[in-house]
Amino acid sequence: MRAAAVGVALAGLGIATYLTIVHYAGGTPVCAVAHGCAVVQTSDYSELAGVPVAVLGLGGYVAVLAALARDGEGWRTAAAFLSLAGLGFSAWLTYVEVAVLHAICIWCVGSALCMVALSSLTVVRLVRGSGMPVA
Amino acid sequence: MSKQAVLERRRAERIARERAERARETRTRRLWRLGAVAAAAAVLVAGAIAVSSGGGAKPAPPANTSSLLAGIPEHRGVLGDPNAPVTVTEYVDLQCPICARAAQSTVPALIRDDVRAGKVKLAVRTLHFLGPDSVRAARVAAGAEHQGRLWPFLEAFYARQGAENSGYVTDGFLREVSKAAGVDAAEALGQADSAFATGRLDRANADAARMGVSGTPTLTVKRGDGPERALAASPLDASAVQAELDREAAR
Repeated sequence: MRAAAVGVALAGLGIATYLTIVHYAGGTPVCAVAHGCAVVQTSDYSELAGVPVAVLGLGGYVAVLAALARDGEGWRTAAAFLSLAGLGFSAWLTYVEVAVLHAICIWCVGSALCMVALSSLTVVRLVRGSGMPVA
Repeated sequence: MSKQAVLERRRAERIARERAERARETRTRRLWRLGAVAAAAAVLVAGAIAVSSGGGAKPAPPANTSSLLAGIPEHRGVLGDPNAPVTVTEYVDLQCPICARAAQSTVPALIRDDVRAGKVKLAVRTLHFLGPDSVRAARVAAGAEHQGRLWPFLEAFYARQGAENSGYVTDGFLREVSKAAGVDAAEALGQADSAFATGRLDRANADAARMGVSGTPTLTVKRGDGPERALAASPLDASAVQAELDREAAR
């Protein structure tokens, strides 16, 4: 389960890295859905308190990977917390894409799916513990 | 059963009960921990949303939409000095939100810095692939061009642009845009089904096919009667577009 979570976090890290590079290069992401990525990437919602959302995502995935690198109840709790926070923020951004911007960025959707998977894995890992039977 | 066996069995049962109790406590503790983690994450996300929702979907339209274009000639839909050495052509779909963004950022910079200076003239090709609203908008835009008011019409349209294919491009909407752009709405709407409008849509399609335009907005540049080529710079990056045009001018 930990290996699966690391794999998902690495996939999310790849997406966030790409979006960060595109953000600072001033370009627009390659997007299969016409216009969506550029609209999202250039909207006012692409930054949070002046920090690009892509950079926040990058930092979030790095933090999750750091938490997954070690075992123990505290680290499992940290990984679950970070993943759930990422999931919540991804859900908000997806709502903004659909309801406010009327544009879908496939990279953002990809990252949101990574957060869904990551949250599921880290929550189950936290509840189950390190393989120790609980019942 | 011997006394020893009874004692052994009771001991085993006690150990099993203690294990089950410990497991229950562990599970309860972990579920409480999960609840606390979820609550903390929710608080964090709520704070982030409160900060983020201060943003907006689109920049506010220019306070005075006519000041940008005031005094700049428009001839057959081309904005600027007809003798300007460089022609920049913008391939757009009036429904495309990113075209609206470019029209409110890159295009004004181009008009202020290059068109006004007589270095560049601006042409536009109104593509119409996003849906029926795009077709209607492009046809009425041709009607505005017929009155020499295409660029004010585009500016007014983008400032009021609605959600893609939501059916907002009604005659009422087009009249409002026309009025804001100083276009005779009745005449422009009347021109929508004319051969002139059809010709403008056909020309846009043909030019886009020739240039291999696969998305909007796309900017192309042409020096004099030379070949037209697509700009590599993002249409949303005004400074990159300017730099590429400067390189073109320096050739």
